[in-house]
Amino acid sequence: MSMWRKKCTTPEYPGKMETEKYVYTPGLHGLEFFKTLKEKDAIVATKCGETLYIPPTTLCPDFSKGEVVEVPLTNPWYIASYTIVYEDMDGNKLDKPQILALLVPEEDIVGGIIHYVKAEPEEIDVGLMVKAKLKPREKREGKITDIEYFELVA
Amino acid sequence: MKPNIHVKDKVAIVGAGLTLFRRRMLETSRELAWEAAREALESANLELKDIDCIVIGSAPDAFDGVHLKGEYLADGSGAISKPMVRVYVGGGTGVMVPIAAWWHVASGLCRTVLAVAEEKMSPAHPHPQGVFAYIWDPVVERPLGPNLLWIFALEMRRYMHVCGASKEDIAIVSVKNKANALNHPCAQAAAKITVEDVLNSEVLVWPVHRLDVSPVSDGAAALILAREDIARKVTDTPIWVEGIGWTLDTTHWYNRELAYPRYVEYAARMAYKMAGIERPWKEIDIAEPYDPFDYKELHHIEGLMLAPRCQAWRLAREGYFDRTGELPTSPSGGLLGVGNPIAAAGVMKVAEIFWQLRYEAGERQVKKPVHYGVAQAWGDLMQVGTVVVLSN
Repeated sequence: MSMWRKKCTTPEYPGKMETEKYVYTPGLHGLEFFKTLKEKDAIVATKCGETLYIPPTTLCPDFSKGEVVEVPLTNPWYIASYTIVYEDMDGNKLDKPQILALLVPEEDIVGGIIHYVKAEPEEIDVGLMVKAKLKPREKREGKITDIEYFELVA
Repeated sequence: MKPNIHVKDKVAIVGAGLTLFRRRMLETSRELAWEAAREALESANLELKDIDCIVIGSAPDAFDGVHLKGEYLADGSGAISKPMVRVYVGGGTGVMVPIAAWWHVASGLCRTVLAVAEEKMSPAHPHPQGVFAYIWDPVVERPLGPNLLWIFALEMRRYMHVCGASKEDIAIVSVKNKANALNHPCAQAAAKITVEDVLNSEVLVWPVHRLDVSPVSDGAAALILAREDIARKVTDTPIWVEGIGWTLDTTHWYNRELAYPRYVEYAARMAYKMAGIERPWKEIDIAEPYDPFDYKELHHIEGLMLAPRCQAWRLAREGYFDRTGELPTSPSGGLLGVGNPIAAAGVMKVAEIFWQLRYEAGERQVKKPVHYGVAQAWGDLMQVGTVVVLSN
């Protein structure tokens, strides 16, 4: 192989997409979700019949339009599942392991959100209660990162 | 329908829905799909539970910037827990959607199909042209830095040369379609303009000026197709799918005569044969040929055999294709007037024929009586033709 490489030069045809970036719109309920998060200590869910869905998706499973309902972030949520990340995308070891969890506000709400949990790996478990740590209101941008992380409820 | 193929069940379109076509819609892709799908269901007096199968059409994932776009659109298209397929043949996708929906029903596999097409071109920055750049051959074309407008300009110039058409002759189509769109409630680029306005608009890639081109759009469109017995139950005015056809040519687009879309003719012949149409120029009452550029409408009118080769521009000058003319084309306003969210634009054209054949097009309704209509889309690397023939 190395001999062949020395004798022949294989031309390369590089590709670099001219699309530099994507700028998405949040959607109808997405806009409410982030507006609420920015302005209040709450998010919104979609109410379809008696069932609440998070994150809100505008449309219900039966194709009707869902109602926007606020869900407070001040109450404890529980950990439905979690993972502990030890390496970054490039395989470098993280200084401190990072915990990502599926967090659900109440038993009878369908869905939840994924977010960081600030805890030691040995402290974390399914079913533990956590509370959102929000950025100060003046620093919020209407993004999911307006919630800095969730922390264990003592 | 002539029995040149075995068709188990006759198929009708019984409902249609459309969102606004705009440059940057707040709605997500799946919300757009849902709005169009809901409107189509309501217009057919059906609910999602009445739908057996789903067909989704959307152009490259790279436009919306969401991979697995068919799957992403699934809940907005009503596809959760139902058999779903996504079809994609570039710009031809919009008419491929009802074609695929037709074979689902005609085969006996599904009684009803919700067919949804969606495109959101606005997320790609700085311009969705950057996505189009990657349709080229990476070895012999892309190193030259081609732009989609280039090949349209080359094809337009070739059509002008072979057929003796001038820029003015071609601009008539843009003037007609943008004016037709003034009566379309979803239109993005409706306008009352003159041939001079087209000629005086910014030159993008000569001979293509800005007003020769359809806009960048977000939008969705949907149709409901049903088996004959169900169609007759839900409506007194089912619109029958009489013929379908589609053909693909090679991506070596410069290896063929650019002045004539041979692949559109082949697709049209397939659809006409199935519909029992022998003289389309006499038997077709109304047409929605694909018009991303003004010359493309003339090109496709000829490919659909609605005018002799190189004669479409002469007939356009005489008003033959006007809404009040002998054979109205793009009475909706077409892509030039209503907008061009790629796959959704093709379904919009089929929906227009559906509304026209039901005499439900309101101010857009053509003056003549209509019995047979044809809708067509075109795309990929100037190589695919998709055709649907409908009747009332």
